[in-house]
Amino acid sequence: MVLRQPHLGPAAVILGLSLGHRTVREAEHWLAAHVVPLDLADLVACTHLVAAPYPHVALSVAVPAATDRLAGLPSTPPELRTAAERAAAEHGERRSGRAVRYPGVDRLVGRLTVGEVLANSAIERVVVLGGATAGPELPLDTRDFVRPQWRDGELVLVVMPHHTGAVAPFEVADPTPCCADH
Amino acid sequence: MGHGHAHHHDHDPAAGGDVPPALDLGVPDAELAPGDLSRRGFLRNAGLLGAGAAATVLTSGTAAHAAGHDHGPGGDHGRTGEFQWLAGDHHIHTQYSSDAMYRVVDQARHAQAYGLDWMVVTDHGSVAHAKIGVDKVNPDIVAARAQLKDLLIYQGLEWNIPAAEHATVFVHPGRNEVAVLKEFENAFDGSVKNAGDSTPANEALAIAGIKFLGEAVRKRRVEGALFLANHPARRGIDSPHEIRAWRDADPSVAIGMEGAPGHQAAGLPGGGRNRGYYDNSPSAASFPGYPLESYRTWGGFDWMTSTVGGLWDSLLAEGRAWWISANSDSHVNYLDTSQRGPDSNFDLNGKHNDPVYGPLLSTAGDYWPGQYSRTHVGASSFSYRSVMDGLRAGRVWVDHAGLIKALDVRARIAGDRRRESGTPLGGVLRVKRGTRVEVTIDIDLADTPNWSQFVPTLARVDVIAGRVTGPVADKDAFTAPDTKVVKSFEVAKGTGKVSFTYSFGRVDEPFYLRVRGTDGKRSQPGLMGAAVDPFGPALDVTGAADPWEDLWFYANPIWVLPQ
Repeated sequence: MVLRQPHLGPAAVILGLSLGHRTVREAEHWLAAHVVPLDLADLVACTHLVAAPYPHVALSVAVPAATDRLAGLPSTPPELRTAAERAAAEHGERRSGRAVRYPGVDRLVGRLTVGEVLANSAIERVVVLGGATAGPELPLDTRDFVRPQWRDGELVLVVMPHHTGAVAPFEVADPTPCCADH
Repeated sequence: MGHGHAHHHDHDPAAGGDVPPALDLGVPDAELAPGDLSRRGFLRNAGLLGAGAAATVLTSGTAAHAAGHDHGPGGDHGRTGEFQWLAGDHHIHTQYSSDAMYRVVDQARHAQAYGLDWMVVTDHGSVAHAKIGVDKVNPDIVAARAQLKDLLIYQGLEWNIPAAEHATVFVHPGRNEVAVLKEFENAFDGSVKNAGDSTPANEALAIAGIKFLGEAVRKRRVEGALFLANHPARRGIDSPHEIRAWRDADPSVAIGMEGAPGHQAAGLPGGGRNRGYYDNSPSAASFPGYPLESYRTWGGFDWMTSTVGGLWDSLLAEGRAWWISANSDSHVNYLDTSQRGPDSNFDLNGKHNDPVYGPLLSTAGDYWPGQYSRTHVGASSFSYRSVMDGLRAGRVWVDHAGLIKALDVRARIAGDRRRESGTPLGGVLRVKRGTRVEVTIDIDLADTPNWSQFVPTLARVDVIAGRVTGPVADKDAFTAPDTKVVKSFEVAKGTGKVSFTYSFGRVDEPFYLRVRGTDGKRSQPGLMGAAVDPFGPALDVTGAADPWEDLWFYANPIWVLPQ
């Protein structure tokens, strides 16, 4: 494995978008269909949970260099502009936002160590649910689905203990749906 | 102190001008017309008068109780003794739920075999259920009642609370039980009404639903109706202000929440998921203030309850009576050997066909009612009415896997050791300022194997206490900074009875206390820090949470109000 410390300097462009997606899954599908194909270097794309004017998921897209490739994305409808602006501001301040695409995300597959995750991706800190910081040697079972969040200026991955003896990301790709055999 | 149980309950008069005589507690019983007196008696017994109309313990009782016990809002009025502790489960699904499969009688026979005295059938609210299931399930329940005389079987439903999670709603049996439930479901179910979004209008619909149930009791359509929020922290969509608003909407109906969710087998290796199926992440509908920790279970309990100084404690510190329970949420059970009836047409029939023999269900996440989770209610008799009264009074403790056999917790004026004196769970002890107060905890240790064939060993009992600071200004508050574990008792023996006493000394400030215990096998410092809870419940591990190796009991609170 090639070790690389991805650089996540200040973004030159941060675009806030709000298209009324009801779930993070819908928002991720839209990012995959419309933003990922633009092939932007060091892209950071986040989802943001928004309550107003109705509960939905807004998006923010940040790139370190000026680009005109974002110009083709749809514009946010007027009633969702506040949500879109808020998403861009939260991302810009690195206060909140759940990163779907970020440097190194494609390398976070299978089982790694916490140290490898930090070295190979833009994730800056790994914390265990409940507050402890994870040491670099701790094995981390990525389940090929790693969604860190902006917290206090850092891209932080929250993990929890897993039956494999490793830790695994807090968020699972397939949460138990409401009223599915439970 | 010493007083009988016949003391007159001169609670604060109901507010308002045009109250009927029966509701106006300014009018003494003796001055009421016989019809009004009968109505007042009914309302009082249903917990709908005086204290029953209050959301917090601070507004119940009067200064006349210079030294007396009292009850929290509702319930059967300050009984202190001669309880029958009846174990039950208020969250059980049947073939009338689209995601479940058992007959009513299957669940009932298992509940009885596993030692339960009462149970509630709570199929999911839905268009099909509101149209068909709510009617069709009733004859099955009536037949099961006739077949199993020693089991109380209530009809209810699992309400999709508008703008929020699910809740158990159930009523006292009677000729209108179906009519009231059906009207309620059609008018207020979040799924039927497409009112799931977290909007102010939908939150208001939830409040209206709870009020409807209270009205159904006041109009004597049913003898009682109760609401308990299920798996409240699972998806982060029961915000603190909604929980407070439910309680305030009608304290005689909205009495509490699941302290521990069902699906306790879901974290076993077979299924590889999380205990309680608590594996969600925040969504746009979630209350943004909740931390990620709230989406997982801790020692099998919901974060709202398991966190010392957390959401539950923030309600109790207000003096807001809000009780916890523990249930199976049985849909499809771990290691069962049956499957959903083939060729079912749920939407057409409102039910699945009867289950048939099938493969071993090693990845199902539920236990049978009573197999693992139990809600113990101190009832004055074995009756539908008494169990509802005991629930409303908060005379309730819960356990997993039969950790202990019996529990008696009483707040007492120091030195008073009479068996039937003192204030039991859910109650309010009112004393003169400066009185010495203590809590006594008497436990019958487990003496027979549980349903995994071992006798659980109680290792530790914790007393948790916090100052009562009155109603919060911020309805979304969910911490109680003054609440902490004040005493831990190691349990030195493995059989028989153990008793502990903790003295609060001379009391000047209002406070509450609650008790929890554990087998001591898993713990970690509490989420509010080791100074608050040095050995709290541990985060349950995905796919490796053997629920039999991590046992807790929790008791509901008692308030002590010096005045």
